Amino acid sequence: MEFVIELLSATMRLATPIALAAMGAAVCERSGIVNIAMEGLMLIGAFFAAAVALATGSPWLGLLGGVIFGGLFSLLHAWSTVTLHINHTVSGAIINILAAGLTRFFMVEFYGHPGSSDMVQKTLGDLNCAVPLLSKIPLLGPVLFDQSPTVYFMYFFVLFTSFLLNRTKLGLHIRAAGEHPMALETLGISVKKIRYIGVLYSGLLCGFAGSFLAIEYGRFFTEGMTGGRGFIALAANVSGGWTAVGSFVAAIFFGFIDALQLKLQVMGIFKIPPEFFHMLPYAATVIAVAGLVRRSRPPADSGNDFSIEKEM
Amino acid sequence: MKKALLLLVALSFTLFSLSANGGKETKEEKKAAPAAPKLIAAMATDVGGLGDGSFNDGSYAGLTKAQADGICEARVVESKQMTDYIPNLTGLAEDGADIVFAVGFLMADAIIEAAQNNPETKYAGIDIWVDPATAPTNVLGISFNEHEAGYLAGIVAGYMTKEYAGKSDRLNDDNVIGVVLGMDIPPCERYEVGFQAGAQSVNPDVKVLQAVAGDFADQAKGKELTLAMINEGADIVFQVAGLTGMGVIAAAQEEGTLAIGVDVDQYAAAPEAVLTSAMKGITEAAYQTIQSVADGSFKGATNVSLGIKENAVGIAPYHNFDSVIPQEVKDAVNKAVADIQSGKITVPASRAEL
Repeated sequence: MEFVIELLSATMRLATPIALAAMGAAVCERSGIVNIAMEGLMLIGAFFAAAVALATGSPWLGLLGGVIFGGLFSLLHAWSTVTLHINHTVSGAIINILAAGLTRFFMVEFYGHPGSSDMVQKTLGDLNCAVPLLSKIPLLGPVLFDQSPTVYFMYFFVLFTSFLLNRTKLGLHIRAAGEHPMALETLGISVKKIRYIGVLYSGLLCGFAGSFLAIEYGRFFTEGMTGGRGFIALAANVSGGWTAVGSFVAAIFFGFIDALQLKLQVMGIFKIPPEFFHMLPYAATVIAVAGLVRRSRPPADSGNDFSIEKEM
Repeated sequence: MKKALLLLVALSFTLFSLSANGGKETKEEKKAAPAAPKLIAAMATDVGGLGDGSFNDGSYAGLTKAQADGICEARVVESKQMTDYIPNLTGLAEDGADIVFAVGFLMADAIIEAAQNNPETKYAGIDIWVDPATAPTNVLGISFNEHEAGYLAGIVAGYMTKEYAGKSDRLNDDNVIGVVLGMDIPPCERYEVGFQAGAQSVNPDVKVLQAVAGDFADQAKGKELTLAMINEGADIVFQVAGLTGMGVIAAAQEEGTLAIGVDVDQYAAAPEAVLTSAMKGITEAAYQTIQSVADGSFKGATNVSLGIKENAVGIAPYHNFDSVIPQEVKDAVNKAVADIQSGKITVPASRAEL
C-alpha cells in the first residue's frame, strides 16, 4: 500500500511539468502553430524562476518571473511564425538553441560561472500543502491532495484549458484558427491575434513548468535541467489527441512509467541493466504515439502558414 | 522575411558560441597577457560543461593555476553534445595548443582520433584509459582510484548510519545507505564499489541501495531517486552524478537526511546536508601534466593511475559535521588511508571484484 502511494505520488510529481507544458501545447497547436520550442521555453522559465527567487528570496515572485519570461520568450516564436511566416519547426528549433545559449550566457553574467546556480533557500516545494479532508481519502488522498502548490495549479489548468477550448467563444476561435483559418478571418476575427494568444498561452504554461522544475521540484537552476520534458509534453499532446484531458492522461502515463523505472531501480528487485529502465519512458512514448495517434486527428491547418493577404 | 530568419539564426548562434567559449576566457586572457607564456594548455569539457562544480571545473582550475604560475596560457572550449568532442579536441590543436586535455571518460575514443590527426600536439585524457599497445605516442591516460575515495566515504557513512544514528537527527536506525550514479561508466562504478566496500568493512550488515539516473544534468531524476531511497530507509546518499546530483543534495536538504558530494568539496551547495565529499585531485593532476610538458618529461602512450598513495584522492573536510562525527570514525578513516598507502588494504575497483 505504502509502495503504491509513493509510486503514485512520484507519478504526479514527474507528470506535473509534462502536463503543464502539454496544456500549452494543446492550445498552441489547436490555434494552428506547431510548437517544438517548448523545451527552450521551459528552460528560460526555469532560469528566471531561480534567478528571481534567489534575488528576492520569495518563491512566489520566482514563479511569477518564470511564467512572465516564459511568456515573453514565446512571443518570439509567435512573432517569427505568425508575423514573419517562418516555418514553425525551424523557428522552434532556433528558439531551443537560443534558450540553451541564453541561459548559459546569463549564468556567466549573473553568477560568474555556468552549470548550476546557488541553492534557492525557500522553494515552493517547502510549502507542501495537504488539502484538509480530501487528503484523508484512502490511497487517492495522499496521492492527489498532499502535494506542493504547482500540482494543484496543474489540476486547475487542465480543467481551465479544457473549458477554454470547448466552452468559450475564444476557444472556438482558437479551434477555428487551427482547422479553417479562412473561415475565421471571413468572420472578421484576426487569425494572427488568435495565434499569438495560442503561442503566448503555451509560453506562460511552459514558464510555469520550468519554474516547477527549478524552484519547487529542485532547489537549483542547472543547465539543461528540462531533460527533454518539452518534447515529451509534445508527444503527450499528440497521443492525447490534441485535447486537454487527453494530454493530461498521457502526461500521467509518461510520469507513471518514469516513476516506475526509478522506483524499481532503487528497490533492486529485478537484476536488469539500468539501461533497460532508462529506455522505458521513451519506449512508452513511441508506443503511445504510434498506438494512439492513428485514432487522433491533428488540427487540419496546424503547421500551415496563414496570411490573409495571400488568400485574397 | 528571409532577412529576419537569417537574423534570428545569426543571433542565436552568436549567443550560443559566445556563451560556450566566452565569458571566462576573455577575462583570463587579459590577466595572462603580461606574463607572455610560451606554452598553450587547452581543454575541452564534457557536456556537463564548466560550472559543474565537479571534474570539468576541477580540470580547468588546474589549467588556470598553471597559468597563474606563468607556466602556460589556459584555453577552454565546452562540448555541448558528444558529437562536439572530436571537432573541439582537433580545433584546439589547430589553434596552436601544445597540450590538450580531454575531460571525461566519454571522450575516450575521440581523444585517440584527435591525437592521431594531430601528432605534434600532446593530449591528456582525464578519466580516460588508453591502450598502451595501440595508442599514439602523444596521448596520456590519466585515471584516478575513485574506489579509494569512495572507500573512505563509505567508512564514514557505514559508521554513521548505524553506530552513531543518535548523533544527528538527520540519521535513522534503518542501517540503509544509497548511491546514485549519473551513468553506469567505470569512474562512477569505482566510486560506487569503493563506497560499498568501505561501508561494509565497518558495518557488514549495511544495506547499500544503488540506482543509475542515466543523465548527468537531470536534477529532477536525481531527486526522485533519492526520495525513493529515503523511503526505503536510506539516511545517507552518495551522489556520483554531476548536475543530476544537485537533486540528491536537494532531496537530502528537504527530507532532513544527508548527502555525500563527489569529485570536489560540495559542502557549499548545502552546508547542513552535505556530510563530506569523496574527492579526486583533478586540479593537481592537470597541473602536473602541464608541468611535465613544460619541462619535457611528458610521456605518451601510457597511463597514470592516481590514488591515495599519490595523494590524489581522498575525502573532504567535515565542515559543519566536524563536531558530529566521533573521533573513532575519523581515526578509522585515517587508518584506512594508512593501510591503503602501505598496501595492507586493496580496495575493489569493479563490481566483479567486490
